[in-house]
Amino acid sequence: MKYDFIIFGGTGFQGKICASDLLEQGYSTLLVGRDPSMIKDLLKNPKASFLKLNLNDENKIAEAIKKSKADVVINCSEYYYNIPILKACLKTKKPCTDLGGSKKGTGEAFVLDKNFKKSGIIGITGCGSTPGISNVMTAYGIKDFDCINEIFLGFAWDSNIKKFFPPYSMNTIFEELTESPDLLENGRIVKAGPFKCSGTFNFKAVGRQTTYCMGHSEVYTYPKYFKKYGLKHLHYMAGFPEHSLKVINTLINLGFNSREPMNINGQEILPVDFTTRILKKIPIPKGYTEVENIWVRIKGMKNGKKKETKMECIVRTLKGWEYAGSNIDTGRTIAIISKMIKEGKIKEKGVYGPEAIIPQEDFFSELAKRKMYVYHNGKKIN
Amino acid sequence: MEKNKIGILGLGAMGKIIAEDLAKTFNGKVVYLVRDINSIKDLAKENNAEVRYADVSKPETLVKAFEGISVIVHAIHHEFNLIVMKACLKSKSNYIDLGGLYHYTKKQLRLNAQFRKTNLTAILGVGASPGITNVLAKYASRNLDKIKNIEIKIGYKDFSTYKQISPLSASYSIQTILEEFSWKPAVFENGRIKFVEPISGREKYNFPKPVGVQKPQYTIHSEIATLPYTLKAKNVSFKIAFDDDFVDKIKTLKETGFLSNNKIIIENNEFNIKETSIEILKKLKKTIPEKINQYEIIRVIVSGNKKIIMDAKISGVNETADKDTGVPPSIISQMIANGEITKKGVFPPESIIPEEYFFKELAKRSIYIYENNNRIN
Repeated sequence: MKYDFIIFGGTGFQGKICASDLLEQGYSTLLVGRDPSMIKDLLKNPKASFLKLNLNDENKIAEAIKKSKADVVINCSEYYYNIPILKACLKTKKPCTDLGGSKKGTGEAFVLDKNFKKSGIIGITGCGSTPGISNVMTAYGIKDFDCINEIFLGFAWDSNIKKFFPPYSMNTIFEELTESPDLLENGRIVKAGPFKCSGTFNFKAVGRQTTYCMGHSEVYTYPKYFKKYGLKHLHYMAGFPEHSLKVINTLINLGFNSREPMNINGQEILPVDFTTRILKKIPIPKGYTEVENIWVRIKGMKNGKKKETKMECIVRTLKGWEYAGSNIDTGRTIAIISKMIKEGKIKEKGVYGPEAIIPQEDFFSELAKRKMYVYHNGKKIN
Repeated sequence: MEKNKIGILGLGAMGKIIAEDLAKTFNGKVVYLVRDINSIKDLAKENNAEVRYADVSKPETLVKAFEGISVIVHAIHHEFNLIVMKACLKSKSNYIDLGGLYHYTKKQLRLNAQFRKTNLTAILGVGASPGITNVLAKYASRNLDKIKNIEIKIGYKDFSTYKQISPLSASYSIQTILEEFSWKPAVFENGRIKFVEPISGREKYNFPKPVGVQKPQYTIHSEIATLPYTLKAKNVSFKIAFDDDFVDKIKTLKETGFLSNNKIIIENNEFNIKETSIEILKKLKKTIPEKINQYEIIRVIVSGNKKIIMDAKISGVNETADKDTGVPPSIISQMIANGEITKKGVFPPESIIPEEYFFKELAKRSIYIYENNNRIN
């Protein structure tokens, strides 16, 4: 059978959201993962199939892509599989999208740019909410400027019920909050200690929240595309509601995020794997809804005058998507971008960040169809 | 059988305090019963103690290890209480332990007839609490015609300075604490046992200085399994205080599912959730004190036709306040070995320990007892 899309990480949270979006539009998808029990409902759709695969083997990834005959490869797996999947796409000459990655992963992805160009395919890294929507909003907002001094961006979110529920991949959260984040200061990448760099801002949907600097791929892709504007300062800052941050910090404080293998009754386990599995068992509280505010603040000059632009995208829990909370903005966004590639709306070849090539208006209009609204200096633009 | 031979089963934090006190105060022989003989060799040499291999997870090793020992002080986790008691019945050794967290105590009391028949003594819960608490309640009860309420409250304040502090500093076994925070506490109310929510009843209480205001909470404890019946009280409750940060952390683990007794399968391997969480917590950096300065107050309020407030005050300057749990088993095991306690059967502390003698021994170890604010030992 030929599929429209093959989704790696297809049994995970984002893979499931992405597949739901594409299946809803009538596309066929091959979902690649470890545990099909996680997508029982999706597999009832005749256009969805499951393939069990260990992503540690690049050749097997390529084989799966080839077999699927998919038009676009979507990677919703953990970021450390980004490079093997990109390489498998090169081998099979298939365009691909992913959800972004670490400094190393982003750097390695750009190294593949020439090969992608040579093979006549495109790879877009960071196609979720952030990186993803944030990058396209930045590219849109930057048009207001002749030169830029500073970009602060990130996300803030909250829930109606103040009870802990994992907001997104706990693996990623633990890494983001414990590693010393890179910042761009005076045009140079420098390190800040975890929780050492913060800022409290007012957000349109979330209200006042304190955000903390964390390592994020925008810090590595923006200088590549926006250096010409004179960008000097770049901070990626994430805000969590107090009730959620308290739980995350406690788990970090008590070693539940450790990656040091432990032996329990003769069986090896990583505490972080145990922790993420336990947290996945937390049931979504009845009536629980989330709101997320993806934000970008740009400071610079226009016509010799100081100027500041604020871009925001507001995402709320949607009816029928309650299990996903505000995470729809990651899984559904990669679906939008992958569909744009399939439909030929993005024609460039090579490896790019979303800020470089995604047609902004088209993209925002697709977001609006999914009730994700974009604001430019407080005014809704989609 | 050597009458003067005391065995300590388990040389963990409490076992070591017991060993130290016995080394200082006991004339007879002491045997350290451990799984890892090498780990305790130096201490045994220093204290002139014998070391024998014993592994509670292999009950067959216990009877052999207990051979010829007059009293076994069981200082390992309470889930092994029954196994160790049964081994004592076979080796003909008397038995004491540090408590059975209500449920185990209930089961242990059922071995009374067997211990009596075998001419042996078992005393359940002879640490600080249970232990000192039970004896304080018994002492106060002697001056009351009728007992209505027994309220036990434990407060603790740490003024120590530390070189390194654990993110989850606990004064006793983390496994026991996690059980105390997840099992429903028993409260004896109007003549009936009821189980309330864990970590409930947490309200401010002003302990005598320097402990001051603390927030004791209901906790599952073995005093509730015996005091209502031995002292015929209408209401009996047990509360212990932990600091806010500690409670918050344990509450978080509980609410997010890490203290569940269920199993989880990860990569085809099955793991007990709570046991795995405990193993993760055991990997935390340890607390290393610089100068110890801790205070603990064990308060037992007994009221009926009048109200008597009994306090045990423990000041741990240059020694931890945990000694109040480690010292009583040393005293009681010696009382059994020396023939000062002779009754046969299984008993809670309040039914068998001579109060004045016990208090006198506590005073020798700087643990002072107060009756309505007047020191009595």
